[in-house]
Amino acid sequence: MAISVDAPEISRDLSKKAGYSFTILSDPNAEVIRRYDLLHVGGGPDGHDIARPAEFLVDSSKVVRWVNFTEDVRVRAKADEMLAAAKGLP
Amino acid sequence: MRDVTEKPPNSALWWGFALALGAMLCNIAFFIQPPAQRSIPWLSLLLAVVALVFVSKGLWQVFAPPRIRRGRILASTVSIFSLLLVAVSVFAFFSARSLPISAGAPQVGQKAPDFTLADTTGQPISLGQLFAPGADGTSPKAVVLIFYRGYW
Repeated sequence: MAISVDAPEISRDLSKKAGYSFTILSDPNAEVIRRYDLLHVGGGPDGHDIARPAEFLVDSSKVVRWVNFTEDVRVRAKADEMLAAAKGLP
Repeated sequence: MRDVTEKPPNSALWWGFALALGAMLCNIAFFIQPPAQRSIPWLSLLLAVVALVFVSKGLWQVFAPPRIRRGRILASTVSIFSLLLVAVSVFAFFSARSLPISAGAPQVGQKAPDFTLADTTGQPISLGQLFAPGADGTSPKAVVLIFYRGYW
């Protein structure tokens, strides 16, 4: 599941183009992004407030089991690290 | 009188340009996602700094007496291009890392705050709903929340 400040239509186009099957949610006013303390003030290309990249593995009781906060927007999360954490879940 | 054409090529200058180009090309490496991706920003910065040292040496050899290398116009041109490449690489390094600390973000062992947001069809979806049983009747053990910058 992915969240950004992009409008639903933008996310729909992205999802279609990239062939994503996971849920993409829109947080245009960055309310949830702010609640997760992930707001990057003025980080958007036009000076808009956006989310900093972050990934959470959340179990069914909504407890965080793995997190990744990159220090560099160009460096992506390692899928194998996240999968290893997911495999360790009961 | 000594013939100026006998002076050897300014290898320091060209090494400086090659390193500046290398620092710049590091940015392309992010898209092919190599295994040591986390070290690429540092590699880019290192190459840029070493490039500056070599370009300075190349310029020194051309302009400072006794001018042991020739080609002042070429050296100036190559230096300007090298400096541009270095500037872009250094700017990219710092701007890509100017991220908030997010100290208040949920950590391992903490609860992920609940939320409800519109999906791509405008339908409201809550965090809890993401754990609802799928078509095969089994509920997911976990969900990955990916916050991304958008504007793709």
